[in-house]
Amino acid sequence: MIKAGQIDKGTALLIKGQPFVVVDREFVNPGKGSAFVRLKLKSPSTGQTLQETMKSQDNAEDITVVDRDCQYLYNDGENFHLMLTDNFEQIEVPMANFPDYQYLMKDGETYRCTFWEAQLLEIQVPPKVVFLVAEAEEAVKGDTVQGATKYITTETGLKVRVPIFIKQGEKIRVNTETKEYLERVNN
Amino acid sequence: MYRCIRTFFDGRDYTEVDTPILCTSLIPESTIENFATRFQNPFLPSTELYLVPSPEIFMKQLIAQGWGSIYQISHCFRNSEQLGHIHNPEFSMLEYYTVGADEQDSITITEALFASLLTDDSAEYLRPPFARLTVEEAMKTYAGVDLDKHQKQSSLVSEARRLGLSVPDEPESWEETFNRIFLTFVEPNLPQDRPLVLQRYPKQIECLAKQEGAYRRRWELYVKGVEVANCYDEDRNLQTIQTYYRDEYARLVQKRQESGSVIPDIDPQLAFIFSTMPACSGVAMGLDRLQMLLMGKTDLQGVILFPLSGMLKGGNTRNL
Repeated sequence: MIKAGQIDKGTALLIKGQPFVVVDREFVNPGKGSAFVRLKLKSPSTGQTLQETMKSQDNAEDITVVDRDCQYLYNDGENFHLMLTDNFEQIEVPMANFPDYQYLMKDGETYRCTFWEAQLLEIQVPPKVVFLVAEAEEAVKGDTVQGATKYITTETGLKVRVPIFIKQGEKIRVNTETKEYLERVNN
Repeated sequence: MYRCIRTFFDGRDYTEVDTPILCTSLIPESTIENFATRFQNPFLPSTELYLVPSPEIFMKQLIAQGWGSIYQISHCFRNSEQLGHIHNPEFSMLEYYTVGADEQDSITITEALFASLLTDDSAEYLRPPFARLTVEEAMKTYAGVDLDKHQKQSSLVSEARRLGLSVPDEPESWEETFNRIFLTFVEPNLPQDRPLVLQRYPKQIECLAKQEGAYRRRWELYVKGVEVANCYDEDRNLQTIQTYYRDEYARLVQKRQESGSVIPDIDPQLAFIFSTMPACSGVAMGLDRLQMLLMGKTDLQGVILFPLSGMLKGGNTRNL
């Protein structure tokens, strides 16, 4: 248990049985009345956000989370299969908990993962990742209606809008949060 | 800004006053933590002194003595508050009392004060006339809670839980439950395109603003979502003031004993003196915040030249 007044950014809390991480916290003293803490929380597994206001004397249930390295093996359409690199234990997590992650993770790559007990809360995909352009349509000459951009597909199946000069077999850097093209990467 | 404020009030027959910052007793306010220090003198007993959280204690005495409408710009001190982008334990306060006025007159006066501070280039969100909203309307609009139907604490708690808030099972006051809802769903969503007067606070939030039905005649002014001022139609009923101070002091003692913080002395004469005031309305305005908004900033950094947070980090020479 932790007093609401001691909660800080990054603290992991159990709210109605669900783990949440504090992304923002602010002390508020209404004109009259006791001190409150206004919290913005995010569920690391579902991305759901939540607002809570607690009296600074309220108790909250804090949880201890640990980061461990996991190798991404494959997905079977329903679950991600990962392996903990420290003890080679294999785990399965529903793909629905991490929407679109199949397009961001590369087979065989190792990711830092946040666990609360046995539950995987977060797969920390780096904010910028280099992908291979697996499929790219040829740019049509004179076609500027699209603002001189086109769509390509990466080796992970992610569709990204890129400038027309990007060709199949080239590498590009992508912002994994917005899934937007950042730059071409030269070998 | 300071010069403009003085010109504004001097032109309207207010008397500028300068009352002490260091004093021997305070008004009982259970929600405000105080700074205490000690007076030492070889010929007198050592005495605990306090830094005022607002000049109200002295200004109301002057009103009771017949000084008429008065204003003051002074430094005030509140302990245990967050060191943040809109908080500093020492801050500058403008307080003005208008004799013969109620809280609606104070809105008009404050609108005129704002008009005198603005230039052609000032942002739209600072411009009068102020928007007006009652707490009742705001709770309906932004939280979907009809306060008239939830005057009991137990039914308000059900509303809070319906909205997804986790309210502990331990008993709490109606006011605390109200604040959970208000601070989560209402305050962050208040309109910011113009200054906003949020008025008529529920009677359950006890204070010395006159009660009218289920509400009290007080308001808070929000500018761009920042709370800048508050105002009361001052209650002058001796019985009401005495009861309020007695209850508030009991709450203060209980809270401070739990936290181990300063329990200030209270002058038992205060309630009587304040009950002899002529009808008046008082406004307290945070000038650092107002300056911040006039400068188009969202942070007191660069407005308060030596913020305490900087002094705590790097000593008092490394703040600029």
